[in-house]
Amino acid sequence: MRQPARLVVPPRPSPRPALGHGIGLRTVHFARFLAERPKVDWVEVVSENFMAPGGRPIAVLEQVRRDLPVVLHGVSLAIGSVDPLSERYLVELSRLVRRIEPALVSDHLCWGTHRGQYVHDLLPLPYTEEALAHVASRVHAVQERLGRPLLLENPSAYVAYRDSTMTEWEFLAALVRRTGCGLLLDVNNVYVSGHNLGFDPLDYLTGVPAEAVGYLHLAGHSDHGRYLLDTHDHTVPDAVWALHREVVRRAGPVPTLVEWDDAIPPLEEVVAERDRAAALEAETLDSARLAS
Amino acid sequence: MTLAETQALLHGALTGTAPAPPGALQACLLDTPGLPAVEGVGLYAGMYLARLTEALREVFPALARQLGEERFAALAGDYLARHPSRHHDVGLVGRQLAGFLRRNPAPERPDLGDLAALEWARHRVFFARPATAAGPEAFATVSPAAFAASRLRLSPALLVLRLRHDVAPAWRALSTGEAGGPVIPAPTVMAVWRSGFEVFHSTLGVEEAHALRLARAGASLGEALEPFASRPDPAAAARAALAGWIGEGWIAA
Repeated sequence: MRQPARLVVPPRPSPRPALGHGIGLRTVHFARFLAERPKVDWVEVVSENFMAPGGRPIAVLEQVRRDLPVVLHGVSLAIGSVDPLSERYLVELSRLVRRIEPALVSDHLCWGTHRGQYVHDLLPLPYTEEALAHVASRVHAVQERLGRPLLLENPSAYVAYRDSTMTEWEFLAALVRRTGCGLLLDVNNVYVSGHNLGFDPLDYLTGVPAEAVGYLHLAGHSDHGRYLLDTHDHTVPDAVWALHREVVRRAGPVPTLVEWDDAIPPLEEVVAERDRAAALEAETLDSARLAS
Repeated sequence: MTLAETQALLHGALTGTAPAPPGALQACLLDTPGLPAVEGVGLYAGMYLARLTEALREVFPALARQLGEERFAALAGDYLARHPSRHHDVGLVGRQLAGFLRRNPAPERPDLGDLAALEWARHRVFFARPATAAGPEAFATVSPAAFAASRLRLSPALLVLRLRHDVAPAWRALSTGEAGGPVIPAPTVMAVWRSGFEVFHSTLGVEEAHALRLARAGASLGEALEPFASRPDPAAAARAALAGWIGEGWIAA
């Protein structure tokens, strides 16, 4: 007898678990991280770096996971590509999710493949109804596959499309309404894209649905004069810290992660940035309490 | 423009595989306060090549050192134009680099394809599926009668390479920051394996290489050890090889 099609509804736990403040765990810090166990509340790792079945990375991650929550952050899902979703990728991501049991799973609002070729970049989409319908259908598919909400990160951008009929924050808000996905708000990317494309980051914060934000990214960028480049190779600049405080004023305490991917300094410097994020959040919340 | 048309246009432009017709990028993209549309795409194009070149350099550090910054970047550009990434793991983009170098050898360094093959094997082995190594006790319970008919399961973290040059000395020198030394044309078979989280490689004798290939292909132990028959004491040679394989963890439990 034919079985009726089963509608798989992804579970909807709060997209914002109380994770605290973490760092992106990178290969160069594996040994010291395991030996010293720095005081961080959680770590985020790049999912694709841990999909191989063997080797040191996955062994280290399993060891870390015994003590700390882990967030899996992907860079190759290509949720906005016209190419079909990669079955191979979804199989490997699902396997990793089962193995690590992450607190959250995130990727980027972007496209990055064309006819099976990966550019390994996070390319912005035109914000049109066509793109919204396309991305929403794929978010549904991924959430059903993983059995959990997917969080999508706002990309940094160096181009804007003539065809866009809505802003990035309007697009994200509509996507959240249609799919129930969560958001990973990269504060640095808001600042970088705002500078490059000429929008006010505060308009972005006003437009993005704060209740859907599961966690924040903080990172540094490079100033090239006419434009900013999202390089993750510096401490968090003051302007980004200021925007971070504004996010906390509006959204309350949000799990926050410091990323550092190039010119990576010693572990204690990354942890110090994480400590600063925690301190600034506490200070901002205290000020808000006093003011009210 | 449709989403598909937009992505085709930008992909071609930023990878250089299909340069945009005049005016097409300006028709698709807005000039922004700091960046004319074409310059914005140029940024992505530069980052594309830089990111994938860096990914290749991480997997092929000895090759990169042998070639130097400029020639390695040129090689990466030529290679990526023919073999763009087709896997979500950027670390796998170099899977065809050894073959590419063998088909397009540098006249003064015909061994670079073999050097790349060695580095690629080391990369693959590092991430290979783990397996519990069989100890000598695994054979203790096998009766002498069943021994020859039994089959070995080799570790997934063991590869056997056939090379036209002995590139081990060049790899060793380049890995310690020295010059690669002379080209050594010599048919060479090499085992590449992982022990713990460390990767090793070692040159194999002809019989041992043949025996491992037979074992990998599913031959019985008796058949796999047949290549040692030409030795003065075949049984002793076979026992020594088997002990070595067990000692290195090449046999999976």
